[in-house]
Amino acid sequence: MNAVISAHNLSKKYGKQYAVNHVDLEIKPGRIVGLIGPNGAGKTTLLKAILGLTPFEGELRVLGLDPSSNRDELMEQISFIADVAVLPGWIKVWQTLDVVAGIHSNFNRDKCLGFLSKTKIGMQKKVKELSKGMIAQLHLALVMSIDAKFLVLDEPTLGLDILYRKTFYTNLLNYYFDEGKTIIITTHQVEEIEHILTDLIFIREGKIVLDSSMEEVSRDYIELMTSAENATAARALQPLNETTSFGKHIFLFSDIPQSSLKELGETRTPNVADLFVAIMGENQ
Amino acid sequence: MVREYWENKGAFRNTPIILGLITIGFMLMGITVQTQFDHNDFTFREGLRFLATQPEDLRGMYVTQSMMALSSFFISIMSIVTFFYLLGALYDDRKDKSILFWKSLPASDTLTIASKLFSAMFVIPLMFWATLIVTQIVLMIIGMLMIWNADQSAWGLLFGPAQPLKAWGIVIAGWLANSIWMLPLYGWLLLVSVKAPKVPMLFAILPPILLSILQAWIGFLQNFKMPESAVGVIKDWLVNSPAILAGGMHENSTGETTISVSLGVSLDSGFDHAPTLTNMVTRLVSMEMLYGLLVAAAFLSLTLWFRRRATDS
Repeated sequence: MNAVISAHNLSKKYGKQYAVNHVDLEIKPGRIVGLIGPNGAGKTTLLKAILGLTPFEGELRVLGLDPSSNRDELMEQISFIADVAVLPGWIKVWQTLDVVAGIHSNFNRDKCLGFLSKTKIGMQKKVKELSKGMIAQLHLALVMSIDAKFLVLDEPTLGLDILYRKTFYTNLLNYYFDEGKTIIITTHQVEEIEHILTDLIFIREGKIVLDSSMEEVSRDYIELMTSAENATAARALQPLNETTSFGKHIFLFSDIPQSSLKELGETRTPNVADLFVAIMGENQ
Repeated sequence: MVREYWENKGAFRNTPIILGLITIGFMLMGITVQTQFDHNDFTFREGLRFLATQPEDLRGMYVTQSMMALSSFFISIMSIVTFFYLLGALYDDRKDKSILFWKSLPASDTLTIASKLFSAMFVIPLMFWATLIVTQIVLMIIGMLMIWNADQSAWGLLFGPAQPLKAWGIVIAGWLANSIWMLPLYGWLLLVSVKAPKVPMLFAILPPILLSILQAWIGFLQNFKMPESAVGVIKDWLVNSPAILAGGMHENSTGETTISVSLGVSLDSGFDHAPTLTNMVTRLVSMEMLYGLLVAAAFLSLTLWFRRRATDS
């Protein structure tokens, strides 16, 4: 199958500063990709270019279409939630259903009503009367009822409490995702989504610093937990990163055979958050 | 399209209804004041007796003319509603970030702008017009009751010879012609709405004023005379509107001067201000209209260009 996104030499400048700096990227269908980076790394700009919301330099194809010139056509097949609570405040809940049904040909109203019936959202309520978490639920219900090939979520759970965040991702995985669909998510709460991701992209200062599948990550990166005595030996193996906690030294290694670490201490696959800190901290 | 109605239900539907109620309220207040001073409706009866001596077509004209005159009250409020609607049309959703939601739907920006323009040009006038008709029917019923109360035949005296359909027809024709006439201004407002970083009102009003000051200054430097300014052009444009805006003196084709409602405000003689369909059409096929449409087209294409690039920030 063709790539959902293929970008070559994609750049976007604000003034003299590159927000996205000559990025090459390829995302295959049926993946759930986490796009992770610190604030101001260019995540949102990259997504805006993909959604045709901003002009860019370089080559970019989304579902085989050019987002800057074929935006309307593209939006038939893409859904996106950019930021929490961007539903207009004046609209009533039932009206959002009518609006989306009127504009989107592949919107399933019954499905949406089904999702909403599991929440406390009243159909006659105005969006501005709902809590932030409810707005996110409503938006997700709308988006999940649209049969789109590609879903873009930009910080969809920012500022929501843990219960809402958990249900959000559980629903997404259980009722929306299948092989024909692709999801790209940016978030700060990496630990909460790492178990649903299939691919991981780290972005820093407009450049992609890591682009691999979760299998590759667990194959290529090893975390070693060891005592102070073995720390010097571990340091000699050139770890990416070193931290200490509870008197233990924790080292992160890449591309190193697990056997060479075994005798130094306990090894395990690092979690995404640790990996993020290690890679982002590198060369800084 | 439906979005426009829902979003602006307050302005589109409630404003004309309130306006109608105010008008009816004014009439009732007038009646109350009048009966305070005139317990036996003496003046009223006298007036009616005087009316009865007038020729029938003149009596009919009084009613028809005052019906048209009342519409100028409605269109002045309607213009304010339209002004703010267009200023907010492409601004509010940028401000509350919901533009990101609208842009996530497969509706083209051309369609978005077209539906907003359509609302301003047709939906608002038609809703105001419908309320105007209802208001006037209520006023007529009250009037009839009053006249019957004074033992006169309301129908024979006033409303029989009146031509309400003609009045309503001329009013809506004028308003729709006005929608086309106003396109350059609507285009300007949408352009401001799509681009203004904040306070679109300021951005809508300041440029023509600054431009006028600049023009006046340059003109003054050149020949110590005040040239035609941008504000002046806008003023001329408004007073030549093909909708009924004011009363005025008209010289008809036979040279007689009559007092009646007028199209626009008869301040300049560039156009005939008598309220006829021909005069409306004359404006719509004039050179001015052609220039106006060119300006409107320029503003609207710029608006579209900016809207394509608009996001929340």
